[in-house]
Amino acid sequence: MSTVCFLLLFFFRDDPRVSAVQRGAIDGVALAASLVLAPVDAWDRLGSVFESRSSLQEEVLRLQQENRVLKGQSQRLGSLLAENARYKALLNSARDIGDDLIAAQITSLSPDPARHIVMLDKGVNDGVADGQPVLGAEGLIGQVTSSGNRNSRVVLITDSAHALPVQVNRSGLRAIAEGSGSIDRLIIRHLPATTDIRVGDLLVTSGLGGRFPHGYPVARITEVLILEGDAFATVFAEPSSLLDRGRYVLVVMWGDRQREGAP
Amino acid sequence: MIERTQALWVIYVSLGVALVTMLLPLPLEWRMLRPDFVALALFYWVLALPHHVGVTTAFGLGLAQDLIEGAPLGISCFGLMVATLVLLFSYQRIRQFDGLQQSLVMLALMGLSSGIEGWLRTSIDLPTLPLTGLLGLAMSMLCWIPTRHVCRQLRRHYGVV
Repeated sequence: MSTVCFLLLFFFRDDPRVSAVQRGAIDGVALAASLVLAPVDAWDRLGSVFESRSSLQEEVLRLQQENRVLKGQSQRLGSLLAENARYKALLNSARDIGDDLIAAQITSLSPDPARHIVMLDKGVNDGVADGQPVLGAEGLIGQVTSSGNRNSRVVLITDSAHALPVQVNRSGLRAIAEGSGSIDRLIIRHLPATTDIRVGDLLVTSGLGGRFPHGYPVARITEVLILEGDAFATVFAEPSSLLDRGRYVLVVMWGDRQREGAP
Repeated sequence: MIERTQALWVIYVSLGVALVTMLLPLPLEWRMLRPDFVALALFYWVLALPHHVGVTTAFGLGLAQDLIEGAPLGISCFGLMVATLVLLFSYQRIRQFDGLQQSLVMLALMGLSSGIEGWLRTSIDLPTLPLTGLLGLAMSMLCWIPTRHVCRQLRRHYGVV
């Protein structure tokens, strides 16, 4: 049996049959979690029944969702403006990709305390696929790692197994921002100590690697650490979105077709 | 005395309930304090009924745990299996211990299983818990006596032998 264990771990970890089982389990786990939470939800609903303004609430919800979609779409504006100023002449060739967004809700956290993984209430049936970027209200929060039919798992950018290519919005400097395992901190290692990077700089996705579209805000630099005599600086940044607050997120429909056309 | 049918389902239902406690929502930074009821329930049943619950059950539970966590399949199996095996070798002695001594044994067993899990995680480049994760082990240790009490009442009430 331990042989089975090691075979599963070291040889069949990415086997399509194994991941099919895992995908199937996602929906089951989400269902079980919602059953566990059912009393809490029922209490919430009871409260809203007594308010007897359900139609108004629906309207507010719809507007909020719309507002969120608009916010998500305008996130790219800041970096596009900066880019515009620098590369006015070249911009003609840059293709504008109108990203489609799906509003989703975070339903639960992974029970594994070493990871920053959350569960969303949208899955393959809604158009979610592996690798799609996920946005919070203020910026990028993570990417979809596996998706069931009605639910999917998202790994946050602060997970210590996650890293993403970023760019300093002010200077255009490219770097890799790694998750630190703590929810309010990203780390950039191995930047030359003479690099032009300051506290307060905005990091945006650079679009390199083709996983994330270019130009979504990611984090703000909080600390630049250069030890005397060291050749490299270590830079700490705080994610723009509060990753442990808020339930609503946007999944960017960023398919293979668009990736091919990406810069 | 009336002959009762074996109520083995009680074992599996209690293990299932232990799995469900993994799904109870906790704030992000507090998750490491969650007592590991799955391991505790498993260890209780191994200690009480070693002829029914053993390494195979540990394997199945480990798989279920991985599916719930979304971790690579098998990562928490091996640790649970080894700890169960240790318990199977020495259950007669551990049964004689008092509550505190048993709690310490449980701490050691859970340390063993989570240590093995951490080692497997490192070997495939998955993040492991920082040292504060040991707090979770301490919480689990404190929960041994209540878990034992509940499981024992269940076992006696349903006459599982």
